[in-house]
Amino acid sequence: MASQPTTAERISLLERMLMMRRFEEEVLRVAQTHAYVGRQHLHIGHEATGAAVASVLTPEDLFHTTHRNHGYLIARGADPGRALAEIMGRKDGLNGGRGGPWHLCDREAGFQSTSAMVGGSVGLAIGAAFAMKKQKKKAIGVAHFGDGTLDEGICFEAFNMASIFELPVLFLCENNAKEGQRPSSMLAAKALRDLPAALQIETVVVDGRDADDVRAAATDAVARIRTTGKPVFLQAQLERWPGSHQLKPEFPTGVTDLTLAWEEGRIEGKHADWTRAHDGIRLYAKKLVAEKATSKEEILALDRKVIARIEAARAFAEASPFPAPSTATDLAFA
Amino acid sequence: MTVKTYAEAVVDALTGMLKADPNFHIIGRGILGHGGHEHHAHALQHDFADRFTDPPTSEGATASMGIGAAMAGCRMFVHLGTGSFSLEAFNQLINEAGVAHSMSGGQVRVPVIFHMYHGLRGGGSGQHSLSPQAMFANNAGLKVMQPTCPRDVKGMLRAAIKGNTPVIWVDHAALLGQKGEVPDEDYEIPLGKADVKREGKDVSIVASSRAVLWSLAAADLLAKDGISAEVVDIRSVVPLDEDTITASIRKTGRLVTVDESIQMCSVGSEIAALAAEKAQAQLKAPVARIARAAVPVPFSPPLEKAISPKPEMIAAAAKRLVG
Ligand SMILES: Cc1ncc(C[n+]2csc(CCOP(=O)(O)OP(=O)(O)O)c2C)c(N)n1
Ligand SMILES: [Mg+2]
Repeated sequence: MASQPTTAERISLLERMLMMRRFEEEVLRVAQTHAYVGRQHLHIGHEATGAAVASVLTPEDLFHTTHRNHGYLIARGADPGRALAEIMGRKDGLNGGRGGPWHLCDREAGFQSTSAMVGGSVGLAIGAAFAMKKQKKKAIGVAHFGDGTLDEGICFEAFNMASIFELPVLFLCENNAKEGQRPSSMLAAKALRDLPAALQIETVVVDGRDADDVRAAATDAVARIRTTGKPVFLQAQLERWPGSHQLKPEFPTGVTDLTLAWEEGRIEGKHADWTRAHDGIRLYAKKLVAEKATSKEEILALDRKVIARIEAARAFAEASPFPAPSTATDLAFA
Repeated sequence: MTVKTYAEAVVDALTGMLKADPNFHIIGRGILGHGGHEHHAHALQHDFADRFTDPPTSEGATASMGIGAAMAGCRMFVHLGTGSFSLEAFNQLINEAGVAHSMSGGQVRVPVIFHMYHGLRGGGSGQHSLSPQAMFANNAGLKVMQPTCPRDVKGMLRAAIKGNTPVIWVDHAALLGQKGEVPDEDYEIPLGKADVKREGKDVSIVASSRAVLWSLAAADLLAKDGISAEVVDIRSVVPLDEDTITASIRKTGRLVTVDESIQMCSVGSEIAALAAEKAQAQLKAPVARIARAAVPVPFSPPLEKAISPKPEMIAAAAKRLVG
């Protein structure tokens, strides 16, 4: 079983989550104020899961993510200035402006690719795991994806191959399907975990809102993958953030106000339920204060520090020029 | 005649066939994209709820379901999203739909339309910008359609739905808002007929899909310089209307081809080959091909713009040929 995190580790987890949230809020502001051509598939509401999983990986672990990738890049230490520059199509972006918001890639932070083809990450991550196994490395492959990805046939094929070839891969499924609406997935299986389980893959389901729970589950899962060399399917249950699929950039739940962590009476509006019950950042801040791991003042000071870093990232990204049109056909071949 | 948008003309054709044929079914969500024309699709789905199927994100099985149902007596319209996503179903389209009629010795027919949006769209980057028309054309057993105006799409779509051959319908989202006169009654435009969208005598610009709009804009630019350009909208990539295209090339003696495929083995390459085979004697200048640069589509707006064909490029190429 995973050991209890230290207070310092928990505060560092909150800081990571705040970096992810304030970054995505900045992306929305950029989209509101700039001639911006990308779509906003933000990672807001998934931070507890993302930060906790990222915290148990080593920089050598090879990560494959999706259209909803920004949070993982930030959580694993990619430079927020270069990430924002990429989203703005600038020269100093992580991919030199060639990838954009759906495809942030940072090899140094342990990313191999960000594929916006639904199912792309799942197949590629078993390849990363295959290479780690053949090269006798301790590192593992990680596939991040959503519930909707299980609609694609490649998941069946990749799960099966990971299982029969015993590949060290973490299948990290963020389940934000919402009952009652058209969800992001349409699966006859009542529980997503039944699909990999049928192929003899160990499955774990965790409350994706609770950073401590995710951290404990991910620590154990990753340790087992490293020792057994076999895949694990980790499913995080999440509630879709109301702005998770928007065409126009908006803040449906407002700019995050951390004082709502301890002033719950002030939570209001159409999406109050999401903020009250499903915002993992608010819940974690509330918990840390309630358990006296830190104080309100310290949390607000941490948030100010994070906001200052994101503001600096914005300034960096805005100062970066667009790449020269004469470079448009570069990099077709390696 | 009523002035309608391209999107409304698509709805006209689908409505006509939904009413006429209870065996006609539509699979897919977002047939008119997710922008300003989506409400027309919602209204149609509301009126014919039992004829619409909303599939999971499973392009391969969705295409197969359409193909199998068509073999079993339904007429199917299968929307696959972007051209890039259609590759998830490439096997089904090529190895199943395309071959079934011939491989069964003519016993089986596959009346399916596979609908998708191709091309540069602004920020589509490397995985949402594919123009697969030439890839589909380089196969047997599939027709490939690319109309550009409301009147054409209504008539061609009706003909395609009533036909018995699988059709790849490579639309462009930038066309959905195009307006034009559309006959109110139901009518068919036979598949495989090009249309001269603007007559001219100095140079033929032969184009498909959105590239026709760029070519018409180029013809305006050329007119200012006293050059009279003819714009031929091929409308159908397969079958290709060789007669209309060669007649135009023979008349003007000069050819510029324009399409959004990557130039290697592009639709434009096929038209250039046609000119070499059938109009060599009348050519007064080498052929010029305008296509998309052979590089994964870069996200950054100035880079995407740099690799896109545009009216100025077409006009400049035409001017060089006229000399
Ligand atoms: C092959 C393919 N088909 C369709 C799409 C369009 N698409 C983009 S995101 C998405 C839903 C994905 O749902 P899920 O995996 O649950 O991720 P979420 O957005 O909910 O985080 C779809 C269908 C795509 N990008 N790729
Ligand atoms: Mg989802």
